[in-house]
Amino acid sequence: MIRTCIAKLSLAASLLLLATGLMADPVTIKYILWDSAQQPAYQAVADAFHKANPNITIEIGQLGWNDYWTGLQTGLVSGEAPDVFTDHLAMVNDFASKGQLVDLTPYVTKDKVDTTKYLNGLGDLWTKNGKRWGLPKDWDTIAIVYNKDMLKEVGYTEADANNLKWNPTDGGTFEKFIAKLSVDKNGKNGLDPAFDAKNVVRYGLALDHSDDRGQAQWSPFAVSNGWMYTSGTFKADYKYDDPKFIAAIDWMVKVSKKGWLADYASTQNGPAAVFAAKKSAAIFEGSWMIGYYSTSVGFPVGFARLPAGPVGVKSMINGLADSITTSSKHKDEAWQWVKFLGSEEAQKIVGTFGVVFPAYQAGVNNALAAYKAKGVNVSAYTDESLTKGETFLYPVVDNGVKTQEILKKAFDAVFTYKATPKEAFTAANKQVLALFK
Amino acid sequence: MSGAAATRRRRNVKELFVGLGFLLPSLFGFLLFFAYPTVRGLFISFTDWDLLTPAKFIGIDNYTALFADSAYWNSLWVTVQYVFWNIPAQTVLALAIAMMMNKLTKTGFLKGAFLIPWLIPNVIVAMLWLWLLDPSVGYLDEVVKAMGLPPLGFLANADTAMPLVAWINIWKWMGYNALILYAGLQGIPKEINEAAVIDGANGWKEFTKITLPMLRPVLAFILVTTIIGSFQIYDTVAIATRGGPVDATWVMNFYLFKYAFQEYHMGYATAGSMVLFALLFVVGLVQMRMMRAGEAD
Amino acid sequence: MGKKAADRHPILWLGAIVLLFLTLFPFAWVVRTSVTPHDQIFSAPGALWPAEATWTNYGRVLGLITGADAVKLGGSGQKIEFVRALCNSIIVCTVITAVQTLACAMAAYAFARLRFWGRNGLFLIYLSALMVPGIVMIIPNFILVKEAGLLNTFLGIMAPTLLMTPFAVFFLRQFFLSINKELEEAAFLDGAGKVRTFVQLILPISQTALATLALSTFIAGWNDYLWPLLVGKDPDVRLLNVAMGIFRSQTPQGVPDWGGLMAGTLISIVPLIILFALFGKKIVNSISFSGFR
Repeated sequence: MIRTCIAKLSLAASLLLLATGLMADPVTIKYILWDSAQQPAYQAVADAFHKANPNITIEIGQLGWNDYWTGLQTGLVSGEAPDVFTDHLAMVNDFASKGQLVDLTPYVTKDKVDTTKYLNGLGDLWTKNGKRWGLPKDWDTIAIVYNKDMLKEVGYTEADANNLKWNPTDGGTFEKFIAKLSVDKNGKNGLDPAFDAKNVVRYGLALDHSDDRGQAQWSPFAVSNGWMYTSGTFKADYKYDDPKFIAAIDWMVKVSKKGWLADYASTQNGPAAVFAAKKSAAIFEGSWMIGYYSTSVGFPVGFARLPAGPVGVKSMINGLADSITTSSKHKDEAWQWVKFLGSEEAQKIVGTFGVVFPAYQAGVNNALAAYKAKGVNVSAYTDESLTKGETFLYPVVDNGVKTQEILKKAFDAVFTYKATPKEAFTAANKQVLALFK
Repeated sequence: MSGAAATRRRRNVKELFVGLGFLLPSLFGFLLFFAYPTVRGLFISFTDWDLLTPAKFIGIDNYTALFADSAYWNSLWVTVQYVFWNIPAQTVLALAIAMMMNKLTKTGFLKGAFLIPWLIPNVIVAMLWLWLLDPSVGYLDEVVKAMGLPPLGFLANADTAMPLVAWINIWKWMGYNALILYAGLQGIPKEINEAAVIDGANGWKEFTKITLPMLRPVLAFILVTTIIGSFQIYDTVAIATRGGPVDATWVMNFYLFKYAFQEYHMGYATAGSMVLFALLFVVGLVQMRMMRAGEAD
Repeated sequence: MGKKAADRHPILWLGAIVLLFLTLFPFAWVVRTSVTPHDQIFSAPGALWPAEATWTNYGRVLGLITGADAVKLGGSGQKIEFVRALCNSIIVCTVITAVQTLACAMAAYAFARLRFWGRNGLFLIYLSALMVPGIVMIIPNFILVKEAGLLNTFLGIMAPTLLMTPFAVFFLRQFFLSINKELEEAAFLDGAGKVRTFVQLILPISQTALATLALSTFIAGWNDYLWPLLVGKDPDVRLLNVAMGIFRSQTPQGVPDWGGLMAGTLISIVPLIILFALFGKKIVNSISFSGFR
């Protein structure tokens, strides 16, 4: 009997020890992101995570895009980087090649995470050479954002805006669309022969300054013209000197000179300000800004599909994921957080905030419901992602930062009319290819 | 005799210890944060180092790459442009304000009012003007429109960006420099002024023949400090233009900062800063020589 | 002479008014923008005063409104923790000023009055550091602070100038050299050692010079941006400048939160204006002192 007593006691004792061992030391995981509009959503996810894992607390930090990457670099260099950070396809390879990211494959295998459930094949984007650098958490596409009042004013309907066509020769119905919406100082619109391109008070279209990706700038034109950056997502044989690309840029320069596309000076601080100030009727914008435009600009805003070029409507699709840094001192807990972020449950929570489209269908449904409740029609974005062949990926290769710099300079020169597209991009492409030698 | 000498030597030794004691804190700071970094910087400039992987010695490759980089020379040129836009205008305005403080009213109001921008950090000043000069929604854009002019790009226009960056800096510093000049004006003996007036010199003549020459030492002081400071501009550019449009305001510090803290090419960036050091050294020497000429008065 | 003086005035007055306006108008604009609601900033950019002035910008910036509401109002979901950044800046600048002034006064006295081997040579070496541009030392200093584990700490931010700057030593030495030697000799005859002379005689006499230096050191620290940006990104140790810079790029991509930024600007300026109102005359005298040598 004493023996059973002792046995029971020791069993209880070991169970207790086990329990306290499981209720391990409290761990704080540092997590950073750049989009402040999404922070409330991720805070909610962190709270849900903490409920399920009481010993792990998530500390969320935010730095705006301009400071995000330098802040992260400084952190990596000083050994005080966050444990988990929101990663971007353009930067992931730079970090991975420096050995700063943890390969998630062993964790994924051990916990049997199903990476095929993500929409649009996003799961594969974050792998390279058999290593996985992140679990996808959302996706975004590009659409036309327009001022509903201005549309009515010139006699277009929303259906018109949703079915515009474009080609590099005469710009199709899209060119007429932006011309008609442009207004000069004397009240004449862009189709009027007396339109004064030097004194435009309202541009039909305003776009941000372009870089190598041109996500919400030139890519809808160039790609719908039948061009592609490289021969494959993971290939680096850039083709910025291709005639189809140059034709698209030529068209953009043409309408810029005509005063229908906002010039580089006005969009120095971004097209959003120009649009909000009613100095442009439409812009191209990503789905992450839906929340902002539907609530904060003081006039009704609509979303329309990108114009269809010779090969159809083409929108870049991009997706974010979360990566773990190798300097993290709590990799296992960090994995728990990353796994949760990439799970359906977390993405359902994020969806309800209506700030982004999660990578799981269930999350997207929540987001759509949230948008509907706010009275916002976002079908332009979702249709593009659901219709086969309407989205394309940007190449995921090395030298992202340098490529961006080279192309930015080329675009700056082209859009300030200091160089022709042909000159600038033939030279730029050579420089880019040289990076990969 | 030897007694006195011995006492002196003992005093010297004692003073050595006391001297060291007085010097110790600043010496510590100097060695650790001035001397050591400068020397170490020189060594780093001969390596290729990104702080994450060990440094690799590469001889003078950084320097040759530097001299071959047209962007480097461009940033040097841009910085020189800034100095030319900034210094003459700032000095003239400071002088004008000093004269106003001297002639118009002796109350503190003028002095105080002009000094307020000086109290505001560079960064906040830059943001303020960035807002006023926004090409679409800034107030100055509205003013330009109201005057019927075509929209000026302000900071987004490659031709006006640098002069405007200089203006931002002038706006902040002209009151402070004016005050220093004003003090210099107080140093001009009144008898000389009165003598000039009796001799029939009117305002402008008095200014050029008497005031300016007597202000030379103070002017020289201001010029030296502002010129060396101008070569090191960073804050305003970082906030207002980020080196743009294109590279119209890509000043030297901005170039070095990018290579050091965005690309982590520590060796290359330190090489660039060493060259800047050499340049400023020469500029400083030239100025010292001219300043000594000014002290002859 | 009275008539001639009056002739000169109109032009100067005109110039003064123009320059005064240019100097002060931006501040009026800061106030105006800080009370303008977000949508009106873009819809009525020329309005000298908003149609509906609001305090929400201040609420957003001071963290009195929750993140989600702030986003709805057009700002970032961030409070900028202005008050904390302001306090950080005040702490850091005050400590640097106090310690540096004292340490440099000691060094300046040693160079001015004490005699020891290598004194002049060492002073010239100190002076040569004046020539070295800031950027040369930033990179090695960053590496040094990182290796000492002081990144993201107050000490790390203060470190480079905490103990000395060449200018401070130079400036004070000039002043000490001009102090009447007889005073010190009298103290020496009274039996005071060098240390006592320094503390009880030199320091009190040099109040104006020390105040001038302290003011200029404080403002230099207040202005510093690059170094605190590199070394102090953590929200706990962020200085005011860094916080403002980060706030600017924090807003929903593309649209700067001008209302919030200007509210933040005003909050950060107000303490300075108050200090200036109180000590203005002294500050003005200090600056004049540095010009009139």
